[in-house]
Amino acid sequence: MFDFLIDGFGVALSPLNLGLAFLGAMLGTLFGALPGIGPINGIAILMPLAYTLGLPAESALILLAGVYTGAEYGGRMSSILLNVPGDAGAVMTTLDGHPLAKKGLAGPALGLSAVSSFVGATIAIIGLTLFAPLLAQVAVMFGPAEFFALMIFAFASMAVMMGKDPIKTAIGAVLGVMIAMVGVDSGTGVLRYTFGMAELYDGIDFVVMIIGLFAISEILLMLEHANRQDAGDEMPPLGRVMVSLKEVLYCKWTMLRCGLIGFIVGVLPGTGASVAGAVSYTTEKRLSDKEGTFGTGNMRGLAAPEAANNAAAAGSFVPMLTLGIPGSGTTAVLLGALMLYNITPGPMMFSERPEVAGGLIASLYIGNVVLLALNLPLAGLFAKVLTIPRWVLVPGIAILAFAGVYQLHSDLMAIYLMLIIGVFGYLLRKLGFSLAPVILGYVLGGLMEDNLRRALSISGGDVGILWQSGISLGLWIAAVLLLVLPWLLPKLLTRKSLDGA
Amino acid sequence: MKLAADRILGLALIGLAAFAAAQAANLQIPFSYEPVGPKAFPIVLSVVLAALSLVLVFRPGENGHWPDKALALKLLAVLGVLLVYALLFTRLGFIVTTFFAVLALARLFEATWLKALIAAVLMSLGSFYLFTQGLGISLPGGYWLPDFT
Repeated sequence: MFDFLIDGFGVALSPLNLGLAFLGAMLGTLFGALPGIGPINGIAILMPLAYTLGLPAESALILLAGVYTGAEYGGRMSSILLNVPGDAGAVMTTLDGHPLAKKGLAGPALGLSAVSSFVGATIAIIGLTLFAPLLAQVAVMFGPAEFFALMIFAFASMAVMMGKDPIKTAIGAVLGVMIAMVGVDSGTGVLRYTFGMAELYDGIDFVVMIIGLFAISEILLMLEHANRQDAGDEMPPLGRVMVSLKEVLYCKWTMLRCGLIGFIVGVLPGTGASVAGAVSYTTEKRLSDKEGTFGTGNMRGLAAPEAANNAAAAGSFVPMLTLGIPGSGTTAVLLGALMLYNITPGPMMFSERPEVAGGLIASLYIGNVVLLALNLPLAGLFAKVLTIPRWVLVPGIAILAFAGVYQLHSDLMAIYLMLIIGVFGYLLRKLGFSLAPVILGYVLGGLMEDNLRRALSISGGDVGILWQSGISLGLWIAAVLLLVLPWLLPKLLTRKSLDGA
Repeated sequence: MKLAADRILGLALIGLAAFAAAQAANLQIPFSYEPVGPKAFPIVLSVVLAALSLVLVFRPGENGHWPDKALALKLLAVLGVLLVYALLFTRLGFIVTTFFAVLALARLFEATWLKALIAAVLMSLGSFYLFTQGLGISLPGGYWLPDFT
């Protein structure tokens, strides 16, 4: 049953792939550490390079997955040292991480967060190894109707879990789906929303979309942060960088619990590291904060979100590899990267392309060890990255974005489109939208329409097919429950307590 | 009614939905083998978008923190730099345009002239040789200037 893993290690241990896993981990930690450049930006910038270098699919995926998991490690740096989260997954890390740094325990805090990241990721990778093949076996039974229902479920869980404003999450997802409709309709060959521009016939290019939406809008947002002078930008002294065994053992149950929570949240389609961090922190606070020291520099308060966000990063590969439904914004980008290689992840991938699925999972094990080995001794070095001034960072992002998009088709139109999408992304972010739903909608939109139309072709237009099978009916019910419960549950609970009183 | 950013956004999105639906409804379909066709999905989406936007119009969220005048000017300046970078990218070639783009961006992000100049020289030449020699990516050499690569 675990043949794929053995094959996978064979793939991942080849010198090229080992080197790429190492490079990915290194670059990922750097990208994660740089404020403003999270995993998605890092992958967006590297993806066109990996593609033009002619790397085979599994090698490209190993590199990009290394960046992803590395960025979750790196995100904690600026959270702990500067109280500025390096990416969305590390928001909760600031709550206890920065107070620890202020107490002069920056070094141990970095060490502890590296260890808890390692523990969380390890739990989730083992979970991935165990559950992914099982889920793939179930997923083989999925027809178009089931996939359509699954995507509805993914969007529902995203709307509920992500962000504070479900309406804006939903609007973002719809906009993403609509962007995906630009181009030739695969069913009939009709041109949709191309406005006579030949460049749009193939739809809006994935790389253009990602780089515009994330990298260009980030440049514009950075201008704003540069103008706002934050107090306390001073970097605290690191102190001893190693964490003591006593401190690690103090947090052992926290790490295990939160690793598990993170994995489960990560597996749920549509929710990623940021949700996992928040859920685990509040759970851990309720469970183990007896003295009320969470938020003032409690080691457990730091270990909880760090274990969880790394676990979620690995967990979100489960739905991506088995169902082709990304578990987070970043896996949505990875999914798009695979599509560049004409590989559609899904249940057949474990049997048809075992070298991709197995190689990726094996490389996650390797990358995780590499990351711990890099992060414990070199934390001080990575922390130096935080002092890179914006006037170097911003032109650097601009160069990578321009070169990356230009080399796709040697086409200026793509660059203009990237800039337009960048402004669009900036406006959305200013209006309180999160970009992950947009990108999920964009990646899933085409698949969603295809599956819907295929299902209705099978049934000859009868919409009943969409909820005829047990699997699809269950998914519809789960989606409705997800949407209704958060609204209904508090009302029921207050009524009960009123009755009790 | 208070004029909130979300209200304007909601109205704009309803406009977008109407436009998208009208475009989809006007599609000329030559021949179709399947019951759904390319029209239905965009139209349904437009309806969903319009419905969600209506909620936004009637229950807008907080008015976010919008840039003041000085910052807005700077934003436009950065966008302008990026646009000019794109316009001249193939004409003047990668090295020349990147030099000026880095110089302008670094200045906009409050580097001194000297620092900006050093960054511009190092980054334009460094990235050009990294991309072309190291990674084998072809970048525009420019056709308004004699070829010196």
